[in-house]
Amino acid sequence: MLEVRDVVKTYDGRAVVNRVSFEVPPGEIFALLGPNGAGKTTLIRMITDILRPDSGEIRLDGQVVGGDAKRRIAYLPEERGLYRRVKVVEALAYFGELKGLVRQAARQEALDLLARVDLREWADKQVQALSKGMQQKVQLCTTLIGDPRLLILDEPFAGLDPLNTQMFEEILHERRAAGCTVLLSTHQMNKVEELCDRALMINHGFMVLYGTLRDIRREYADHAVVVRTERAPGAMPGVNRIEPVNGDWKLTLEPEATPQAVLGALVERGVPVESFAIATLPLEDIFVKVVREGRGLDRGQSGPPAGAAGEAGPATATAKGGAR
Amino acid sequence: MSISWARALIIARREYLTTVRRKAFLFTMIGMPLYFGFVMTMAIKPEVSDRRETLRKFARLGVVDSSGVFAGAPREIRTAIAVDPFKDPLKTETYRTAVVFYPDQAGAEQALRARQIAQALVIPADYLATGKVRRYVLSSGLFSNTSAGRPVERWLVRGLLAGHVDSARIERAARPAGEMALYSLDKEGRFQLKDDRREVFEFMLPFMFAMLLGLCIVTGGQYLLQGVSEEKESRILESLLCTVTAEDLLAGKLLGLGGAGLTLVAVWLGTGAVIGAPSMAMLEFHFPPLLLALGIAYFLLGYLFYASLMTGVGAITNNMREAQQFAFMFTFANFVPFIMLSVLMNHPDGPLAVGLSLFPPTAPVTMMLRAATPSATVPPWQIGLSLVLLAGAAWLAVRTAARVFRIGLLLYGKTPNLPEILRWARTGR
Repeated sequence: MLEVRDVVKTYDGRAVVNRVSFEVPPGEIFALLGPNGAGKTTLIRMITDILRPDSGEIRLDGQVVGGDAKRRIAYLPEERGLYRRVKVVEALAYFGELKGLVRQAARQEALDLLARVDLREWADKQVQALSKGMQQKVQLCTTLIGDPRLLILDEPFAGLDPLNTQMFEEILHERRAAGCTVLLSTHQMNKVEELCDRALMINHGFMVLYGTLRDIRREYADHAVVVRTERAPGAMPGVNRIEPVNGDWKLTLEPEATPQAVLGALVERGVPVESFAIATLPLEDIFVKVVREGRGLDRGQSGPPAGAAGEAGPATATAKGGAR
Repeated sequence: MSISWARALIIARREYLTTVRRKAFLFTMIGMPLYFGFVMTMAIKPEVSDRRETLRKFARLGVVDSSGVFAGAPREIRTAIAVDPFKDPLKTETYRTAVVFYPDQAGAEQALRARQIAQALVIPADYLATGKVRRYVLSSGLFSNTSAGRPVERWLVRGLLAGHVDSARIERAARPAGEMALYSLDKEGRFQLKDDRREVFEFMLPFMFAMLLGLCIVTGGQYLLQGVSEEKESRILESLLCTVTAEDLLAGKLLGLGGAGLTLVAVWLGTGAVIGAPSMAMLEFHFPPLLLALGIAYFLLGYLFYASLMTGVGAITNNMREAQQFAFMFTFANFVPFIMLSVLMNHPDGPLAVGLSLFPPTAPVTMMLRAATPSATVPPWQIGLSLVLLAGAAWLAVRTAARVFRIGLLLYGKTPNLPEILRWARTGR
């Protein structure tokens, strides 16, 4: 379990991370979102103990990060590289040894990981002989070696072809199933929607969204429903506007109207309804909306959203996003 | 500053192996002694061979004696020189020069142009009063040809005295101090015979030892600079720092690359000992063990001092080129004593020598120069104080470097200004 409590980091009197709190239980893929310069990298560097917070506390499995706890954390930064003039297997085994594996075990695990990413035959080649895509796979392996309990990945899919992206995702699911906590920082919102259970979004160092993706979407949903019918539903009470959206009909509701009442009205009028759903915004639109409108920044400080503590985990978390 | 030595040793092993396996390291290890040997040979050999060649060609000397003083002078000049002055100064070979008299300068010049003689010596009528003579040659090197000049002078002495004194006195007058033994007071207070070859050896030993020390300190520092710059450029540091602390990384690098520097010293000293062993045995020269112990102490502290500074430079700069520009001033400080070499060797106990051997940046090289110079008497308190000051400076450098290193490593695209660096060094943030 990763626990981040009231963490603050200031530079030259300006808080770049301001009272950020969240929890990620084992076996969850958690998204860390935010625009450029929001404070994500600083937050990650504090979680990896590269930087120390000015105040607050970060724990992994109950132990304050730093010291030997560092061995259980692995980080794939956005700006990443490898030792170029060494053999691939040696570059990997070195990271394995630093994470506490004995030399032979580190080498064996390095070979196993290379086999997993289809690079086994490149083990004894120099890193500089690998293509960019291959090097990215080796970089992922340096992160995976030593069986870390917390995996922090910053834009891991950048530059990968669809095949390797799929392999990458499979590996993430394997790690998740093995109880590894995964913190995914990316601007690819489709990947967040595909892979993550919950998300935290920070902007100007403040927490502006935190919760399950379903609840975040619901929080930012238009007051509308999307129905699929054979013919246009026609005007009805409680509905402001009807517009076609990708072959379906989007019905924008009046403030006092409820989706249940609209569904009832459709059935009553004998409109054959093939599908009926609450209209939600794609995560990307929510991201843009929150950043553009500066939501969550008006509070002056973020701090843990009310009720967030103890609600972590895909099964229990509820939406805590929005202007908190 | 807490360090995980288990991780630091893993880093040290990697740094050491990566460095010693590099072609550049092997090239330095093998190439540097070869280069020095080549330079020394090029500096000494031509001098000796040039002298022999000049004497070989000096087969005939034309003399125009207007003074009439040299009518009874010998008709041959014999010049003996050592075959190899370094290996065996007693083994000589003799060159003969015939002396041919010409009635006037025109005749001598004509013979010179026709290459019948190698030189022409014109002795004016007022020679006894003025001592002036003129030598004519077809071509001369820079600063004239002293190799043939000395035999001519001796011939003049012999010619002046011929028929006036006995031959033994003539010989002595030509070489009044062929063997002048010089005795000087040694460190134990005894007058010791000074031996030219031993003198050269005793000059070379401190020079080479100090040079070796300076080179190793700088080479180790350069490896660190290069390593940090490469890691920074290849953007691998952030992944590494997630697993190890900046202090682990710094300690590992200092250990591993210091080990590489020591390997260089060991190989060079070992090679020097093997090559120099016959000469040392012949001269009954024993390498002082205290000097070796001092050398190791100064290497370790000097390396820590310079390598820490180099690491700091590597961390705050963005690439190797930028780092080299900053590092130059530190490298230069280490070699300052060589710029003042003649003053330090002639006055090894003077105020400049004492000052430089106490000042941490110049202490390792200067103290080794002084300690290895036979005529110097370095009081133990000076060595002690110098080591204490250097250790203090090294500790401060490591501490400062650790702080600057931790912050600077993650800084990309911007070189911090001096106030920022000083703030990092002071507060670590």
